[in-house]
Amino acid sequence: VVDQIRLWQIENERMKATPGFLFKDFESQKEYDGCVKYADEIGVLVWKNDGKRMFFVNRMEQLRDYIKSRKVK
Amino acid sequence: MPRAIRGVLVECDPSIKSIIMKIDSEDHAFVVEDLDDGTLVIKENMLSILKMRLDEALKETQQPPSDSGSD
Repeated sequence: VVDQIRLWQIENERMKATPGFLFKDFESQKEYDGCVKYADEIGVLVWKNDGKRMFFVNRMEQLRDYIKSRKVK
Repeated sequence: MPRAIRGVLVECDPSIKSIIMKIDSEDHAFVVEDLDDGTLVIKENMLSILKMRLDEALKETQQPPSDSGSD
């Protein structure tokens, strides 16, 4: 899997733009921790903020299936 | 249930980010989520427009002050 990460030179500054999905509004720390850990393991995690319980992934299909599978026991 | 929001994660210098926030404050057409000093999520279809606006803003700030000056 090749991730599309575009690098731009804007004047003297750099700006990195990564298309993907922001995950937010987790019900619990446990749910957040589980999802972040999974996203990291499958290599889609781009950014996270534990304090805000938000993270960004560049692909979501696998993660979405994982979240669904957690709901349906 | 967590929400997944489609967008483009932009990581940049805090000074660039503040310019983006200023551009967005006019019509709130770009920013989806303000994450931290150097990180934000913007609408995917607005990325190229934002880049243009940012280039314009940077050109303005980097021009030496003209002699119309302040008085």
